[in-house]
Formats: sequence, C-alpha cells, structure tokens
Amino acid sequence: MRIGSHELRLEKRVSLSGWQAAGISILAIIVALAIFSIIFILAGINPLTAYAEIFSYAFANPFGLPLTMNRFIFILLCTYAFILPFAAGLWNIGMAGQLYAGSLAVYAVLLALGVKEFQSVELPVTLVILMMLIAAMLGGAFIGGIAGFLKGKYNVNEIVVTMMLNFITFWVVSFFIKEGGIFMNPGGRGESFELPPSLQPSLIFGVPFTIFIALGVALLLYFVLRKTKIGYEIRAYGENPTAAAYAGISNFSIPLLVFIMGGALAGLAGYHYFAAVPGVYKIARTYGSFGDLAFYGIICGLISRGNPLAAIPVAFLFGGLSVGGRFVQGKLGMSFGVDFALLGVLMITLVAFQFFYRYKFIWENSEGEP
Amino acid sequence: MQKVLIQDIKRGESILEARGITKRFPGVVANDQIDFKIRVGEIHAVLGENGAGKTTLMKILFGQYQPDEGEIFIGGEEVRFKSPLDAIDLGIGMVHQHRKLIPAHSVIENIILGHPHAGKILNLKRAEKEVLEICEKYGFSLDLNAKVWQLSEGEKQLVEIIKALYRGAEVLILDEPSSALTPIETEKLLISIKAMSAGDLAIVPFITHKLPIVLQISDRVTVLRKGKVVSCIDTSEATEQSLAKEMVGREVVFRTQRTTVKKGETILQVDDLSAFSDKGAMALNGVSFSIREGEIFGVAGISGNGQRELVEVLAGLRKPEGGSISLDGEDITYADSLKRWQLGIGYVPADRIAMGSIADFSLIENVTMNYYFDHEYYRRGVLDTKKIRELTNDIIAEYDVVTPGADIEAKCLSGGNLQKLILARVLSRKPRLLIVDLPTQGLDVGATEFVRNKLIDAKKEGAGVLLISEDLDEVLSLSDWVAPIYEGEFMGILPGEDAKRELVGAMMAGIQLDEESA
Repeated sequence: MRIGSHELRLEKRVSLSGWQAAGISILAIIVALAIFSIIFILAGINPLTAYAEIFSYAFANPFGLPLTMNRFIFILLCTYAFILPFAAGLWNIGMAGQLYAGSLAVYAVLLALGVKEFQSVELPVTLVILMMLIAAMLGGAFIGGIAGFLKGKYNVNEIVVTMMLNFITFWVVSFFIKEGGIFMNPGGRGESFELPPSLQPSLIFGVPFTIFIALGVALLLYFVLRKTKIGYEIRAYGENPTAAAYAGISNFSIPLLVFIMGGALAGLAGYHYFAAVPGVYKIARTYGSFGDLAFYGIICGLISRGNPLAAIPVAFLFGGLSVGGRFVQGKLGMSFGVDFALLGVLMITLVAFQFFYRYKFIWENSEGEP
Repeated sequence: MQKVLIQDIKRGESILEARGITKRFPGVVANDQIDFKIRVGEIHAVLGENGAGKTTLMKILFGQYQPDEGEIFIGGEEVRFKSPLDAIDLGIGMVHQHRKLIPAHSVIENIILGHPHAGKILNLKRAEKEVLEICEKYGFSLDLNAKVWQLSEGEKQLVEIIKALYRGAEVLILDEPSSALTPIETEKLLISIKAMSAGDLAIVPFITHKLPIVLQISDRVTVLRKGKVVSCIDTSEATEQSLAKEMVGREVVFRTQRTTVKKGETILQVDDLSAFSDKGAMALNGVSFSIREGEIFGVAGISGNGQRELVEVLAGLRKPEGGSISLDGEDITYADSLKRWQLGIGYVPADRIAMGSIADFSLIENVTMNYYFDHEYYRRGVLDTKKIRELTNDIIAEYDVVTPGADIEAKCLSGGNLQKLILARVLSRKPRLLIVDLPTQGLDVGATEFVRNKLIDAKKEGAGVLLISEDLDEVLSLSDWVAPIYEGEFMGILPGEDAKRELVGAMMAGIQLDEESA
C-alpha cells in the first residue's frame, strides 16, 4: 500500500524473539480492551471507569485478589495439562474430565480413611495431604492415560477421546456426590462431604500452597522440555512422528506418557479447587463450571505458544479478568455474561494477533526508486 | 503488449534474451549480471549446482520474481513481467519439478484449467480438437480422457508440457525434467523435447545432475556458478568432465573406482525375509543375502519393487511377515528400531525431509536424533548439549555443510547440504551396518561425488553397506555385490565385477538369471 512517498507492506519475519512475542501480546490485549469498550459505551458506561473497576478489583482489592489467585493457580495447572501433550503435537481437550477424576480420587482417599464418618484422621495431617495430592494425580493420570493409550496403540484421535471422557467423568462425579452417592454430603445438598478443618491446608499470605506446586511445575516443564532426553523425544515426536520413529522414539510410549503426565497435572488442579481453596473444601454442586473454566487452559497454552514460563502471566490475566468481569457486571448493573464476552474478545484478538508472529509491517520511504 | 509470434522470427535468432540480470536476497546475490539468450528452435540447457542461482533466474524469466537490475527482451522488445500471468501471455511456459495437476480430473480437464478459452461453459469438444492438433504436430500420444491419477510420472509431465503449449508457449522452461522419471520414460521425454525443438520451439531445461542427458539433447549449454555465468558454449564442444569442472569449480572424478578391501566377518544375515506394503500386498517376497565387513551390497531396481519395505524391515520400522534377520550373530528380527541403532545399524532414509530430519529443529537438534539415546551424550536424563554442539560443528566443518551456523533450522538447508548432514550424523556413529536408500537422489555432481566417496570410506573402515539405488551407474561402480530387485524378489546376486550394465538392466525388468549362464 502506498501513502504519499512512503510504502506500507507486509513482510515475512525471519525470526521472533521472546520479547517481540510478548510485545505483540500486550498490543493485542490493548486492542481487545479498546474493541470491548464498544459494549460499555452502548450500555452507557464510560469504558475507562469500567476497566478501572475491573483491574482494581481483580488485582488490587483485598477481596478480589485472592479470588484471582485461586483462579490463576487453577488455570495455570490446566494450561500445563494442555502444554505437555501439545509439545508432542497432541491436543488435550480433556482437562475437565481429568480434574473431575482427580477430585474423586482425593475424596476416595478420605472416605477410605474414614474422614466422612468421623470428621477427623488418625494419620499425620501432612501425610494425608500428600496422599490426597498423589491420589489427585493418579486419578487424572488414569483418565488421561486412556486417551494416550488409544492414541499410541490404535491411533485413535485424542481430541475425540478426551472430549468424550469429559462427559463420562462429569456424570460419574454426579453419581458419587448426588443423592445416594457414597461421597454425598450428609446434608444432601448435591455436593460431596466436606474436609474437616484439620485437613484444610493453611494459606500463605492468603494464597493456597498449591501456587508453589504450579510454579514448580512451570520451572520443571521448562527444564524438562528443553534440556532432557525425554523432553527431546517428546518434542521430536511432536514435530515429526515419522522422523521420530526413524530415530527410534516409540510412537506408543510418547503419547501414553504425555497424556498420563498431562492428566496428573489436571488432577492437581482438581485438588486445588476442591480441597485447597478457602471456602470450598468439597466437590461443589457447581463443579461443572470449574470444568468449563479448565478450558481456559487450552487458550492460555496456545497464546503462550507452549512456553511454560510465558503461560504464567497469561493465566494470571485470564484469572483476573474472569473475576473482575464478573464483579463489574454486578456493580455496574450490566446484563449477564459480560465477563465471558470480555474473555471471548480477548481470546480472539490474541489469537488473531499471532499473525504478527509470522509477519511484520514495513513502513519505508520508497522515493528515489524507479 | 502484443505477443511476438515465433513464426515471425527466423530459426536461430534469439527469441528471449536477458541482459545483466541481478537479483539480491538478504545476504546473497543470487543472480549477478547474468546475460542469457535463447534462440528459436534450440534446446538450451542450464547447468549449475544447488544454490548456483538457476531457480532464481528461471523464476525471473517466468515473472515470479522481478530482477533488481537488468532487462528482459522478447523478440527484441523490452518486456516487464509483473507476474507469471504476463509471462504466459507473452509465450513463456514452465513445467515445474513438482506436478501441479488435479489427480481426480481427466487429462483434458487439467489441460484447459485456467485457459482463457475455458469460459463459464466448457466446450470440451473444441478443446479436445485443438489439443489433439498439438499432439499430432509433435507426435505425442496420450489418452485425453484418462484420469490423471492413472498416469505414470512421465505421462503427467507430458500433460504439463501440453498444457503449457496449449496456453501458447513458445519458450518452454523445464525444471529438472528427468528427475522423477524411469530410464524408459526419460528416453520418451527426450524424444518429445527433440520433436518440439524441431517444430521451432525454444526449450530450456534446467538440470543439476545427469550430465549425460545434457550432452545427449541440448544444442547449447550455459553453466552457472555462485550466481554468475561461467560459460555458455555449444554442447558439441563440451564433455561430461568439462561441464562438471565448470559447475563445481574443480576436477570431479566420475567413475568412482571400486576398491576391494579385505572382507571380514559376516555382519548381516537375512534369510527368506518377507513383508507387506502399506496397502497389505506382499511387497517383499522371501529375500536372502548376507553382508560382510568391508562390502557394499547394492540393490538395483526401479522404485516400488520392494526396496522401501526391505530397508524399513531392516531398520525396524516395519514388521516382517516371515524370515529372519541377524546382526553379528544376534537375532534382531523383531527388535525395535532403537535397539537396532544401539546395536550398530545406521540408516540414511530416502526421504530426507519427511523422515531423515525435522524441519523446524536446529541442526544441533537434528544431530541429536542419532545421539539422544547414547549414554555418552546424556547424564541423569539431561542431554549434554555442549557435547552435541561440538559434534555438530565438527560435522559441519568436516563435511563442508553450507550453513550460517549450527543453530539454524534444518529447513533452511538445501537438499545436498541436508543429505550431507544426515549422512555425516549417521556415519559419525561408526555403524557396523550402514543402510543407505537413494543416497544421491536430487544431488548435484559435487555432492554426489562426495557422498559416494564417503560410502567407500565407510567400507574401508570395515562397515558393511547396503546401498539401494535407482541409478544403475551408481550401483555398478560402487558395489561388491549387485542384486537386481523386481517385484519384491532378487533376480540374482552378482559379484560386482560380473555385473554388466545390460545384464543388470534386464534383470531389473524381471528376467531371472538361470543358474547355468551365471
């Protein structure tokens, strides 16, 4: 395109540094907020006021910030449950099912220890919490492993399998916690029995200890994928399964492994929300909406392009905006769904801006050329 | 601009001329002041190694690139191509190396696709008549109603040629015209090319290798090296040696001399091995052979006669249906591919892009493909990247891989350089048994010579080599044993010195050697 003596054109990028990618993402967020302003203006609200409310509640409010942190940890773990299979070129759409299974396993341990009956434990609390964490990972790994096994052994599409398992586990949870289920709350409110106070882990500056697990996983994944033998095998399989097979990398064990590991991470997300977040400490009646929230793991994984460290700020932003959006909807008396709409616009814009990961605008003086 | 009609120009005068063409890309001058002239009725071959600037020049002549400097003339008038459409309108046709046809459509439908005469309503009758006239003029025979998927590679290429002619091409550019063809199809193609030039068309085949073809058909030849024209002579004054020297810039040894080294222990023993193809048909039908230390065992044959199944079974990528394989006396018939790498089988696959390398991985990560499982290259599960980087740099230096560095992605390498990297990576493991499938396919003269010498070096160092090739000269000049393969069976196993070209050629076509005459 020619404007005066200057020419504007698109050029393919040769390389993209991490900082350029970050810059593009920040630009995308600003553009998304600008686009969404239209909604506020149509509702007769000054967008600047609205955004000020959203951000101050989500990131600077003594009530809002802990909510943001809880969601951030949850989304981050789900993101890693997505990123690990994604490094092997496989799509895990089943974080919801995997975290349900993880939560069920946690409460199964408690039931086996008689916690439901006596509302207390005889074993040391730390040991029980450790057992709960391991159970959460095993539960998620089991559901994830089904998809990985079917993919590795029979090349069954992993997207379809993980998606179907979401539905199956959703109803399995209902079977256990609703009327007549063995995990049913004695009060019969369609939710599981509650954790006794002794098993409710203490908070660190108001934040569940699971944040250390999530951030630890971030570093671990970053290291494993880049530096280790197994990480290399996973990435090689992800880039080119034929070449990986040629090099002796098993086309069976890699899908199985990444789905077992991914499922275990999603299982931890289940433990986090249903056994470590203050005020919950049970499999809530609305557990399905946490399954929905798990899907933000996919979008965060895609936006961060599979980079476990880049996923941290992205998950934090999404966690915060989902909290702030809901708050501003109530406070400013807007109609239902503003929070989802905001996240939706943000998602689409971020994905659209990935175009600039591959192309850049060139603005140059074209005078003096024939 | 009005199209210049070729009939109006006298035979022998120039129809297309390029003067002082220069094209720069970041970091390289792909074409440097190139002068190039094509006369009516001549076959003008353009030779050059990979990366010499042939493709760039061709794309400029076809309007895909615009030159930074220089002019193009058609019939003496200066022209400017904004896109290939302009070039086509002015009578330039191009047949690409990779086919651009729709397999499910018929030949005639493919030919008229994109033709200005093919309006909203197709007049197939008229088109058929016009196309048949072209076929008659040059003596092509082709069933216009056959579906393209039913055709052989050679016939598909003919469809593309006719398509270009039907669009009114007067100058026909052919990119690597013989690269995907069998020897018989190549013969047919050469006859077609001769017929077209006799009918006054100007033809420009671009060829990187197969110098004999250049000598056989072309009238003149232009040699490019590093973006410059190094010579433009009548083919009658050229020899295979002189052309190769100009292309590469140094003497090239053609006949790699078979050297016999002391043969040692049996490395590979294969008995009655069978395997199915992907489609479930019996593709490999009971082959038996053995390879000893210091031997090259050459399998000669046209692709699709079971070679792919044979190497995949040996590499552990395909399950055998019967028979046995043993390496140094150990039965490995059902061992997985990782186990085989560890036992000392090194495999260089035919498809270097889809199987032999990972396009988006750096050269270091590509070298890692054959080292990630080696205990000397990882500690407690963490890869020793420093050591692999040193190895990669050594490989790049020793094998003269042209690359800006070891961190560049494999997709940035040219075919020849990628093949060098893969071969170097496999050879650096010092394999007991080296399996090489079509090792010089698509490589230029210099790279081909290099690869062949490396195979001989491997043999001298005591490795057993299984060489699969379609190039009869390659098999005959390198192998201690020659096994012509036809429909999944060896037609015989001949000692290298007894394997005569005609005999092996006949056996490749399915004629069994009887015991008495052998």
